[in-house]
Amino acid sequence: MARLQDTAKGDGPDLLSAGLFIGFGALGLWMSRGLDFGTLAQMGPGFLPRVVCLLLIAVGLAVGLPALKRPAQAIEAIRLRPLLVITIAVVGFAFAATHAGFVLASLWLVIAGSLADPGGKWRHVLSLAAGLTLFGALVFVYGLGVQVPLWPF
Amino acid sequence: MTFVDLLFLGFSEAITPANLAFCLLGALLGTLIGVLPGIGPTATIAVLLPITFFLPPLAGIIMLSGIYYGAQYGGSTTAVLVNLPGEASAVVTTLDGYQMARQGRAGAALAVAALGSFFAGTVATFAIAVAGPTLSSFALSFGPAEYVSLMVFGLLAATILASGPVLKAIGMILIGLLLGMVGTDQATGAERLTFGAIELFDGIDFIVIAIGIFGFSEIIANLERTGSEGVKLAPLSRLWPTREDFHNSWAAVLRGTGIGTLLGLLPGGGATLASFSAYSLEKRVSKHPEKFGTGVVEGVAAPEAANNAAAQSSFIPLLTLGIPSNNMMAMMLSAFMIHGITPGPTVLTNQPEIFWGLVASMWIGNLLLVVINLPMIGLWVKLLTVPYRLLYPAILLFCCIGVYSMNNRIFDVILAAGFGLLGYAFRKAKCEPGPLLLGFVLGPLLESNLRRTLLITQGDPSIFVERPISLVMLIATVILLALMILPSFRRTREEAFQEEEA
Amino acid sequence: MTITKTAVLTATLLAAGTGAALADWPTDRPIELIVAFAPGGGTDIMLRTLAPFLETELDAQFPVLNRPGASGEIAYTALSQARPDGYTVSSLNTPGFLTMQIGRKLRYDPADICPIARIVEDPGTFIVQAGSEYKSLTDLVAFAKANPGAVSVGTTGVGTDEHLAMLQLEQAAGIDLTAVPFGGANEAKTALLGGHVAMIGLNVGEYTTSDRSSFRALAQFAEQRSTLAPDLPTAKEQGFDVLMSSERGLAARCDVPEDIRAKLATAVDTALANPEFQEKAKQQALPLSFKSGKDWQADMPARLERFTEIFKMIEGGQ
Repeated sequence: MARLQDTAKGDGPDLLSAGLFIGFGALGLWMSRGLDFGTLAQMGPGFLPRVVCLLLIAVGLAVGLPALKRPAQAIEAIRLRPLLVITIAVVGFAFAATHAGFVLASLWLVIAGSLADPGGKWRHVLSLAAGLTLFGALVFVYGLGVQVPLWPF
Repeated sequence: MTFVDLLFLGFSEAITPANLAFCLLGALLGTLIGVLPGIGPTATIAVLLPITFFLPPLAGIIMLSGIYYGAQYGGSTTAVLVNLPGEASAVVTTLDGYQMARQGRAGAALAVAALGSFFAGTVATFAIAVAGPTLSSFALSFGPAEYVSLMVFGLLAATILASGPVLKAIGMILIGLLLGMVGTDQATGAERLTFGAIELFDGIDFIVIAIGIFGFSEIIANLERTGSEGVKLAPLSRLWPTREDFHNSWAAVLRGTGIGTLLGLLPGGGATLASFSAYSLEKRVSKHPEKFGTGVVEGVAAPEAANNAAAQSSFIPLLTLGIPSNNMMAMMLSAFMIHGITPGPTVLTNQPEIFWGLVASMWIGNLLLVVINLPMIGLWVKLLTVPYRLLYPAILLFCCIGVYSMNNRIFDVILAAGFGLLGYAFRKAKCEPGPLLLGFVLGPLLESNLRRTLLITQGDPSIFVERPISLVMLIATVILLALMILPSFRRTREEAFQEEEA
Repeated sequence: MTITKTAVLTATLLAAGTGAALADWPTDRPIELIVAFAPGGGTDIMLRTLAPFLETELDAQFPVLNRPGASGEIAYTALSQARPDGYTVSSLNTPGFLTMQIGRKLRYDPADICPIARIVEDPGTFIVQAGSEYKSLTDLVAFAKANPGAVSVGTTGVGTDEHLAMLQLEQAAGIDLTAVPFGGANEAKTALLGGHVAMIGLNVGEYTTSDRSSFRALAQFAEQRSTLAPDLPTAKEQGFDVLMSSERGLAARCDVPEDIRAKLATAVDTALANPEFQEKAKQQALPLSFKSGKDWQADMPARLERFTEIFKMIEGGQ
């Protein structure tokens, strides 16, 4: 997308939408290449995915082409810190919940997730992590019967 | 027995202290799981099912029903407070509900939602009592062809939902349709668009997409803007709705109730379709459609009334025909069967106390929910004064547990994180995610019914115009399309869009 | 629930401390019961009902863990990756377990999984509207012969029980039917009641728990009439060779010690004989039919071969 931002003209958000639409359409077409298309009476599994992908690419072009001519409008600045920290915290939770139990997973999620916001105090973060973990264990694991081990063994 | 006698019988069954207690317990539990994002009523009921072995049949069923409609009440709470729909039917509530919360009117939004839901629940419950069997024949007249037309209409109506350009909304619907096709093709068993991942063979779960696109990306976007300090809501102006709020919402509640009661009868996406349709209808008939999405009270009242009405009326096919219309109702069917009751016409004649007791308890349950929820609003709104620094890790944790607990696997959580990134990209592209979710929910219904129709007619599409219900909906679709293409309509849309930009 | 849960967790903690010895099986640690379907489904409810009886029988804990997805493959994969110490068992369903072995690359080796005991055998059946002109399978076949492709049959997808039964009927009677896939038995029932399809496939258990005044069953596809529907003739009695039953039971890894598997099988057998369990099974319309793991396993190769033949028919354009 950065390539598109360089030009003096171009509506950034719309070009990004067009890119997403065309990207999804192309990806879908590529992935459904091996699927049987079928006939109208006996539609194969590939019939509608391909129709939808082609429509998606058409819509992408219809959004993107006029956007090229419009005066430049930048996409809002991207800040990587919250994006990466939250994503890593969540992915880490998933592995930890299965292999290390709920307690460690929850502590990890809250502590790591808090790093997304630079202003926090450690004392607050730690007590929040402990409180939420206790609450989660009581409500979800005991109360609602969520099937997850509590401890890593 | 006359209608009044039967109703009296029902209330005398439902009002016994034990049944009343189980009704309250179910409603409370339902509210709790509705409020907690990701934890759905289906899983909770499955876990509780064995416990109901030890209860008398009616008490067990009353409690499980309470969980179901209680969850519908609770689901709107997180939608309004933190912009996170707990269920598909609460997606539209986020559009105006969350905006109201940001303007300090969270209390009004929640109160209108609760009162609208109560009204809708009352009407739909009486619809079950008075016209259950008649309404169920309406549901039966919906064959594959009628579904196709209804879905086409519903998807087109979804473009009204978004306040941005129509084309982008259509693009989002198409992406939703594509996501809905991931998994094993129901008709042929072929696996589609799965990247060969076994975890995707059954498709993507709604919760994964909703939590990713609404939950995670909302948190990322909020933190990005100015860090946790910057996420401040306007101070609470007043806890209760104003006279003007009531004045604006009563008609919306009425229309939402009507739509919800009818669409709730249909199998599959009934409640979801109902809440989306109710919102779209309000926006169409409103004198100020451009304000939708900025925190208008009708935008909360109509879909909330509709989804609660649909939750009640989805009992009709189960109670009168013995056929569950969604997963939740299938679970209820199991609950009936565990107690040796086979739902269907025979229950109405042989065990009227079960049918009428349940109907009466539903109304009582709805009343209890209002009584529980109205005082709770004060508490919920206090939640908004919790600094975001403390709030977002909690939301993050609840979302993760909810996603993880669906299938107890790592994959779903990672997928949700992926949808968080995608949702973030959509935000940067100024694409609204609502239509995507509708396309995702309705897409599989559209595809399977289209294929079914053409299999049955052996490839002849004229069935769509030969069947009256289908024809009516196709005509409505064409009119809607014409309205959107007409320049005047497009201008108002664009004005609305620009106003929001400003 | 909470109390059981607490007990289970306490037990887990204690077990972790002492270390598991095979000699102590099964009292020192909970036995995880993997269910291949989502909570609330037929198999899930059956096993959740059975679990307390097994707990009394073996004096052990049986926590249920749902691993739904890919018609059981996810659960079977999890089972084949568990330690072979007898502390993990899973549900086993046919024909799904067999049909997934045909032309699909699996993430586990089916030869690693040994049945412990069959609990239920539920024959397939075809049903029509109560007012339908078809009174027996013969009526239907006669009509279908005269009007090829005109009879639409609701199934739950390609390669499912109902679809395989339909293909067998087509082959046995020399007729041509149109399969219409639905998302589940309930969707199919609704379409049948609304008159959108002529006939649908179900299991006898599902049929007996439906409202019988609105449906009529034409035949059941078992060797012998099921205890649930003693009045319904089998397809064979009507002259068509159609056999299709879904069976549900338990399985463990094959390298779990022989005596542990035998103990589990005996426990299932005893639980099934318990009148209290039988009463519950009757309420859920479970056609109980115990079969030892060995006998059940012995049946499988022949059935697999039959399914493979039918699948070839599907690929050959029917």
